[in-house]
Amino acid sequence: MLHFIVNWLAGTPSFATPYALAALGLIISERAGVLSLGAEGFMLVGALAGVATSLELGGYPAISLLAAMLAAAGVSLLFAFLVVFLRVNQVIAGLAVVFFCDGLTSLVGTLCDWTNRPITGLHAVALWPLSDIPVVGKILFFQNIVVYLVIPIFFLVNYVLTRSMLGLRLRSVGENPEAADAAGVSVSLYRLGAVVAGSALIGLAGGYLSVVDVKLWIPDISGGRGWIAIALVIFARWQPWRALLGALLFGCIEALIPRIAAAGIQVPQYFLLMTPYLATIAVMVWAAVTKFGRSSEPAALGQPHIREERR
Amino acid sequence: MSPWLQALILAGALVVGLGISATLLIAAGVKPSALFEEFIVENFSDPENLHSILVQAAPLIFVGVGAALAFRVRFWNLGIEGQMIFGGIAATAVSFYDIGPPLLRLPLMMLFAAFAGMAWIVVPLWLRVRWRVNEIIVTLLLNYVALNFLLHLLYGPWLDPKDNFPHSPQFRAFERLPELGLGISSALVLALVFTALSGWLVMFTRFGFYTKFVHDNDRMALAVGVPIGIVIFGSALLSGALSALAGFAIAAAQEGRLTQSYFAGYGFSGILIAFLARNNPIAAMVVAILVAVLFVSGRSLQVFYQIPFAMVQLIQAIIVISVAASEFLMRHRVHWVR
Repeated sequence: MLHFIVNWLAGTPSFATPYALAALGLIISERAGVLSLGAEGFMLVGALAGVATSLELGGYPAISLLAAMLAAAGVSLLFAFLVVFLRVNQVIAGLAVVFFCDGLTSLVGTLCDWTNRPITGLHAVALWPLSDIPVVGKILFFQNIVVYLVIPIFFLVNYVLTRSMLGLRLRSVGENPEAADAAGVSVSLYRLGAVVAGSALIGLAGGYLSVVDVKLWIPDISGGRGWIAIALVIFARWQPWRALLGALLFGCIEALIPRIAAAGIQVPQYFLLMTPYLATIAVMVWAAVTKFGRSSEPAALGQPHIREERR
Repeated sequence: MSPWLQALILAGALVVGLGISATLLIAAGVKPSALFEEFIVENFSDPENLHSILVQAAPLIFVGVGAALAFRVRFWNLGIEGQMIFGGIAATAVSFYDIGPPLLRLPLMMLFAAFAGMAWIVVPLWLRVRWRVNEIIVTLLLNYVALNFLLHLLYGPWLDPKDNFPHSPQFRAFERLPELGLGISSALVLALVFTALSGWLVMFTRFGFYTKFVHDNDRMALAVGVPIGIVIFGSALLSGALSALAGFAIAAAQEGRLTQSYFAGYGFSGILIAFLARNNPIAAMVVAILVAVLFVSGRSLQVFYQIPFAMVQLIQAIIVISVAASEFLMRHRVHWVR
């Protein structure tokens, strides 16, 4: 039993990492008032770019992950252009971008022959001597480098959003763009920056899935994790530390699936595979029914800003 | 802005979108001179291709009209694929468990499919209306749940014992939607009947007027006594039912059994069709037929040029993006300031 629990908990951080990264990225863009429904698409682009870089260079996981971030940020420019400058309905633009990225990645992946080709990827690093502590060592200190990186990224995002002038302006753009505009903050520029920065993190989450986790590219590799991350942000009420907790919860649920199979417990596997999605829905319902704590939902989330427009 | 100028802008957007798509196709290896041949001449001169377009159009009309009905009341039904899956499952269940006499078999399959679609949409619908839970995410995630349930059935109890492939046993002859001659299948006729009914519903009835009211301003609609709960529920349930009928149509007319991925890609096509048709069922039918042309051409590109079918999805997304972007020009007057 202890063996089962240790293995399960040891798998959790690795599964939680993409959720945490994507949710943090989403929080950045949503705090600036842009509903980033394109997350699933940005993850796919990041995942393909990461594997492609690895295949073409023959390794270099760090460069691959950087390429994943850059590629997702690049595609997000299209989304940002649509919603920030052309004021396209953010739901329509987000959906279109998801399907654009979905089609683009499976097309490019096939045409360039990057599909289903394994890469070396990134391996777990033992933080010796901490990793030799019984039980805790295996769970906390025998993970790959990106898992450890989530912690500084989290503190950075949290610090910038809540403690810096940059974050204050970014949040003001999301809460009340008219007031921010009157105060001399460029709404368009801040929203553009927030979308691009957030998408880079979402792309890193996608790159993590393909380069670190699965170690190859297949179409639709993200399997709805982008959507789950969006739900996670709603559940987290747009607060980074709650998003981190939510990501851990989902990592726990997802890490349980292979453990149950490995332990030889007889559960129909397709019902097991439904659990992350059902858990997401359950969590969304719970968040809607119980109005716990303070919500940081940006007041102008999803609304385009047009100077001097009558409302 | 005059309707003519709007139409001009829309046409311009379509030209830009198609131009980008053509560039992509050329980059993927199609000869520029062959483009016109592949998309226009091949499709409309060859009776066989014309027939495939009409066959392909039926499910696309169902999902397009279904999406339009939901979007009319601002219910973002992204669960079209899940509803299609359950439509197919319910229809197949009628066949698998031999429910009803042969004469009533097809109507029963249809009825079961429609109810299954409604049952699958009622959860996100209720959550949205009662608790304001975001229906975009819930309907979308339910697609993954439905997909896993389908795979469970196909790899488990419904596995075809004849060949051990993960699809259901073949439907019997009286469980298949018949061809009516002249290349017209009864699935297409059904799709047209439902389009006409939906068109009548939204254009000529009080219910249709209410959907417009709810779409434009639901708080105002509530204030003047429109039963917005009933309107949203009714419209979205119909959307679920029509999407499920698309699944039924593919299973009973095209495949003749339940397969693994008969629904793939229809969800987005439904959204695209409803968006381009401005949520009007009759216009949705026309757009659906055009999308069917794209689908059929995409399949021939797959065969002759080894271009993955994902290209069709990419082209659809590019067209949506260019049309959505063009609305900026319709809503704003642009003048350059130096």
